[in-house]
Amino acid sequence: MTTAPILKIEDLRTYFYSRSKQAFIRSVDGVSLEITKGETLGVVGESGSGKSITALSILGLISAGPGVVSGKIGFKSDRIQKNLLQDLGDFVKLTTRDGKIMEVSKDVVGWERNAERVMSKVRGKEIAMTFQNPKSSLNPFTSVGKQITEAIRLHTSMKTEQEAKERALTWLDRVKIDSPRLRFDNYPYGLSGGMCQRAMIAMALASEPSFLIADEPTTGLDATIQSKIVDLLVELKSELGITTMLISHDISIISRLSDSVAVMYGGTVFEYGPAKHILSTGFESKHPYTSALLASIPSEQNIREKGYLQAIEGDVLDTINIPEGCRFYSRCNRVTGKIREKCARQEPDLREIGSGHKVRCWLYFD
Amino acid sequence: MKNYSQISGEISEFSDLPFWKKADVVDLVYVGYGLLIVALVVVSYVLGSFNLLPRDPQDIDLQLMMAPPGTAGRLLGTDFMGRDMLSRLIVGIQAYFLPGLLAILIALCFGTGLGVLAGYRGEKLDTGITYFTNLVDSFPRLVLILLVIAAFKPDIYYIMLVVGLTNVPVVSSLIKGKIQFLKQKNFIEADIALGVPTKTIILKHILWHHCRSLLIIQATLGMAEAILMETSLSYLGFGVQEPTPSWGNMVQSGANYFMQGKFWPSTAPALAILFTILGFHLLGDGLNNILEGKRST
Amino acid sequence: MKLSAIRPIALVLSRELVVTVLLLLGVSFVVFIILFASPGDPFSVLLEGQLSTAEAKAGVREAMGVPRSWYIQYLAWLAGMLSGNFGTSIRMGLPVLPEVLRVGLSTLILTIGSLIITLLIAVPIALYSAVRGTNKISWPLTMSSYVISALPVFWLGYIVIYFFTHKLGLFPIAFGFSSAGQKYRWLYQLLPIFVLGVGNGTISEVIRYLRQEMGRVMAEDYIRTARAKGASVWKHAFKEGLLIPVTEIIASKIPFILGGAVIVEQVFNWPGMGRMAWQAAQDRDYPVIMGIAILAAVFVRMGSLFQSVVYVAVNPRASKE
Repeated sequence: MTTAPILKIEDLRTYFYSRSKQAFIRSVDGVSLEITKGETLGVVGESGSGKSITALSILGLISAGPGVVSGKIGFKSDRIQKNLLQDLGDFVKLTTRDGKIMEVSKDVVGWERNAERVMSKVRGKEIAMTFQNPKSSLNPFTSVGKQITEAIRLHTSMKTEQEAKERALTWLDRVKIDSPRLRFDNYPYGLSGGMCQRAMIAMALASEPSFLIADEPTTGLDATIQSKIVDLLVELKSELGITTMLISHDISIISRLSDSVAVMYGGTVFEYGPAKHILSTGFESKHPYTSALLASIPSEQNIREKGYLQAIEGDVLDTINIPEGCRFYSRCNRVTGKIREKCARQEPDLREIGSGHKVRCWLYFD
Repeated sequence: MKNYSQISGEISEFSDLPFWKKADVVDLVYVGYGLLIVALVVVSYVLGSFNLLPRDPQDIDLQLMMAPPGTAGRLLGTDFMGRDMLSRLIVGIQAYFLPGLLAILIALCFGTGLGVLAGYRGEKLDTGITYFTNLVDSFPRLVLILLVIAAFKPDIYYIMLVVGLTNVPVVSSLIKGKIQFLKQKNFIEADIALGVPTKTIILKHILWHHCRSLLIIQATLGMAEAILMETSLSYLGFGVQEPTPSWGNMVQSGANYFMQGKFWPSTAPALAILFTILGFHLLGDGLNNILEGKRST
Repeated sequence: MKLSAIRPIALVLSRELVVTVLLLLGVSFVVFIILFASPGDPFSVLLEGQLSTAEAKAGVREAMGVPRSWYIQYLAWLAGMLSGNFGTSIRMGLPVLPEVLRVGLSTLILTIGSLIITLLIAVPIALYSAVRGTNKISWPLTMSSYVISALPVFWLGYIVIYFFTHKLGLFPIAFGFSSAGQKYRWLYQLLPIFVLGVGNGTISEVIRYLRQEMGRVMAEDYIRTARAKGASVWKHAFKEGLLIPVTEIIASKIPFILGGAVIVEQVFNWPGMGRMAWQAAQDRDYPVIMGIAILAAVFVRMGSLFQSVVYVAVNPRASKE
């Protein structure tokens, strides 16, 4: 990759604290990702893998404690360039024992103030985000149109209500909402889930950001609507070419939209690389988790081959009780005698095994 | 600076911890203080009933007027007629204790009855109860009580009857809400399916297991309100009359002296009211947080 | 607000109005029952008082010799009230309604003023606690609010009066008619508002409720979206997090404040309906106390209606509910 990354996440850790268990919930436990300009990165994983938290950490939207505790998020656009987590070290003190962070001392108020200062120029203007649950993510007390014009007036050169409204209407049309003029004055409760999601996409893109994060844009919608939304996203992608981070647990939407794919599990990235490598069927050098994930998709081919739905044995990782060694060890069906010791004791790091393809698995290194 | 730390090793499961470890320290302090106040009130009531007082509350001693606490063996000093403050305060509890219990009893009994009826059976009763609640809430309690006083007589038991009745809607809607919640969670259906007799379902399963914290908390709030009402009324001259002490009339009779800079005769009973009502409020809040598993802060 | 939005709002409001009327009818019925059950037979007093001439009164006495059924009495009394006739005060001999309305206005000023004071204290504390949680600033404030809510308002009144007159040397008598004196007299008028605002006993509950509501709204998805797009969180959280909870809590606390007004008016000798009610209770002046009870209920329901108006105006779904 010769183009410089627009977003570079390095070893991000976002923890929460369970008062009842007196322990950390390590939702994001060392995530490193890169996205280059114009690229769509699909982040795929089961629920609880930390993908949404990663996105929220980028925008500084984590409110529970302790939140982001370490890492670097480098962001570069035409207008600005900065580490979104700058000075984090000044506000956080970590104590590790046996290689794990066991104590966190964080000046929550101070960090929030610092983060607000840094992020206020970024949110909406440089990085925009759409959310799952579109109906509840829109303000029920304001009309949909007003919420879009708010974004436009805040972040673009169109400052008057009139200009902004015109632009908003264009966008409503672009996201294929029928009768935009009518819908402009509608409240979210009067719109279907699919329309709310379209409106949110319009709102995010109308402020002309350099980077879009789409968190589960199709989850919770009817199946037919889901594919329509994906069609819309594909269209917008070819029209605008905006750098996107697409988060989903639905592999079909990831495959239709992504240039690169990152597979997340238990708070870390297990595999990362070009979409065509990772998502193709057949074994190739792939993380066992990824293979198992792909094999478990109810598709005609899979069922014809196997005759039954293939699930992954075991339970999803408990992000409080993270075991020693590889996070997937207890569920992995490709452990060999040679690497068993290592899998059980030592967590592999994310290593490049060829042409931009990185894997976190002992199977592939010697 | 917020500090979070995790101990190495096994991570314990929360619900095994006894409640005093689970609860917020603040709530425990609230409940502790509240229980202390309740104990003081009950003990004082008993002492007052049997006349086991340090001194005669009516005993006038003009040599010792408005003495500060500690003088000549008067633990809390004296009032403007030299009467022992402590004894008067203890006797003052007689004015509200039993009547308050009456108010609580009425509110809880009728409220529970109505709530169970509404929750268990009636959808139609629901509108009726809402109407009744809004109706009762339309009156300022004190004004309603003044109306009752004008129409009948300033008898503290009548008054507490009114206080109790005006709290019935609150209790009944809380109970009804709990029952609806249990219905939603299919507890009641399961019971019925298992053939548990209705009386047992209501008394044991619903009320005792699920509603007792609610009822206890309502009782504490009820007593706080009773004290407030009784002291306000006796302050206004409608309750216990001089020379019989009631905290309210004690504050009132000390008013002139207060304006002359002699604060104690009014302040001592006022502080008694303050600490006692505070105690019941904190007890109710603290219990609510502990029993419902919430945090007060 | 668009014209198309007004019609459903009007529908909802007329429904609220009907409910209010039904409740006020219920109020009148409750008052009636209390008076009816009274051993002192207030009705003869009332109905007599509603008639103006001696002959008419004599006529009533005759007619009243025959016990009339209770609902006829109720309807007659209700009819009298609706035509503005609340009877005549036993003590003063004046018609009740105009007198009660006069003092009612005075108490209304006291009530609204004290609600403003309560909010001025409670809202900042609640908002601060909602945003910053418990810390060394919010916790003492919350604790103090508990203490303040438990103290007897009459004692607080004494303290304030003492401070004002002795420490500031401003005796009401000395106000006289000088311009400086006038200013102090005006300041003195504010004292009961301040005392009732602080001492009405609801502050801790108001703070708790507002803080809880704002906290809940802050955690909503749409606030997260607002933050993500760089918009002002307060602007988005205001309607559901502050405006509606404030109107809700003050509407529900009006009865409490009116009760406190009875006491505060005693302490400060404020010529309001609280003081008149106290006098009426002492004198067994049924018409007056009845008039005040009903007026108080009217105030409460007005507050409730106001809250409904705000809710419907702000919430686009309200007209559909």
